Amino acid sequence: MIEMKRTVFAIACLGLLWSAAPGWAHHSFAAEFDENKPVKLHGVVTKMEWINPHSWIHMDVKGDDGKVVNWSIECGSPNTLFRRGLNKDSLPVGTEINVDGYLAKDGENKANGRDVTLGDGRKLFLGANPDADK
Amino acid sequence: MMVRFLGIVLLGLLPAFGQNWTAPRTSDGHPSFEGIWTNKTITPMERPKDLGDKAFFTPEEAKAYTQAARERNNKDQRGGGVRDVLYAYNDFWWDSGTKLLSNMRTSIIVDPPDGRIPPLTAHRLAQLQEQAEAIKIRCKQPGCAIANSGQLSPSDKPEELDLMTRCISFGTVVPMMPSAYNNDYQIVQGPGMVAIDTEMVHDVRRIPTDGSPHLPPSVREWIGDPRGHWEGETLVVDSTNFKGETRVRGGDENLHLIERFTRTGPDTLLYQFTVDDPTAFTKPWSGEIPMTKTEGPVYEYACHEGNIGMKDIIAAAKADEKKAAEQAAGKK
Repeated sequence: MIEMKRTVFAIACLGLLWSAAPGWAHHSFAAEFDENKPVKLHGVVTKMEWINPHSWIHMDVKGDDGKVVNWSIECGSPNTLFRRGLNKDSLPVGTEINVDGYLAKDGENKANGRDVTLGDGRKLFLGANPDADK
Repeated sequence: MMVRFLGIVLLGLLPAFGQNWTAPRTSDGHPSFEGIWTNKTITPMERPKDLGDKAFFTPEEAKAYTQAARERNNKDQRGGGVRDVLYAYNDFWWDSGTKLLSNMRTSIIVDPPDGRIPPLTAHRLAQLQEQAEAIKIRCKQPGCAIANSGQLSPSDKPEELDLMTRCISFGTVVPMMPSAYNNDYQIVQGPGMVAIDTEMVHDVRRIPTDGSPHLPPSVREWIGDPRGHWEGETLVVDSTNFKGETRVRGGDENLHLIERFTRTGPDTLLYQFTVDDPTAFTKPWSGEIPMTKTEGPVYEYACHEGNIGMKDIIAAAKADEKKAAEQAAGKK
């Protein structure tokens, strides 16, 4: 992927800015989230939205002051996950998760979930299954 | 001699010919392409430069390339900085394939022989540079952000966002090119018409095969105006009338796309295309993908139905503009 990205970047310099190139993400996460504002969240899932073009995990996070705040975490596209047999019940309400991401630029409680792990540290949604490619 | 020549030409045109297999027929007697097909693959669009003039992988090279691609796509994405924000997700979220195309080519592009898209014309480059300059000037003001291309781009009005963010096109339909996911196509045929439902993002290409002419030049379409005709076992599709914004690999509205669909076996549909856009590219370029039959269904994408991201992008740009205005007011 890294090599692919390099290629994408190299082509971008040559003019892909102007073309509709087959993309790796539907839209620019960088337009939405701030690279200078990394955020780490720990909490429980309140809702998982398996919607296109991007899925969203909603979670309750308890702050240092004991106040509970609901956060929304943007993830990748869910079509693939449906095809792999995952569905809306795959991340049940109440599941403890950690999110390592970047804060939304508009100041709302939203983040880009670049790294999501379960409460016990196991990675969530990491690694494709080559056998799935039939 | 002439007969022999014609025979060779026919063999070249009809990959199914001589393979002791005939495509099933639709009720009107044409080859049937009906079904769901996929073009997902790790075969790159363009041949990596380090492969030079090597057009095909050996079995050993194919194995090594496949393994490397799978590891690369599956790894935890940690590019650092803005790259982490742009490309946070690995192959678990995508479905870009884990196999090379069955033709064992080192690139989807087969012509020019170097397997790479030819350079843009000086005229087109100048045009694009002019547009880039305008964006650069515009982006001295707040309300711009880095797009997936890695370039700064306006993001404070919906009509300024790229076609992908606007859910108009992901650039995977003309020509039909594999992308990160949703690489499935359902073909349905009826008398005088072939329709291709493309999973990315929602387009249905309706291809008349009734001999009707192209639309008048004043009518432009995002995915062009396709007209099909049969050449034996092959459906040839000729598309013109593109909108300038379609920009196939930096191309313009003069794009003339020629595509050929041929069944080469029970589970294979050979897709060949030529991009001819003389005002944009220094020469035409062609590619081919043996598409394979796959299980359905083709999922609905409903790109805008859940497009919270687009609202957030605009909200972020507005927040950026507000901050800049407040700072300017504070200085006064």
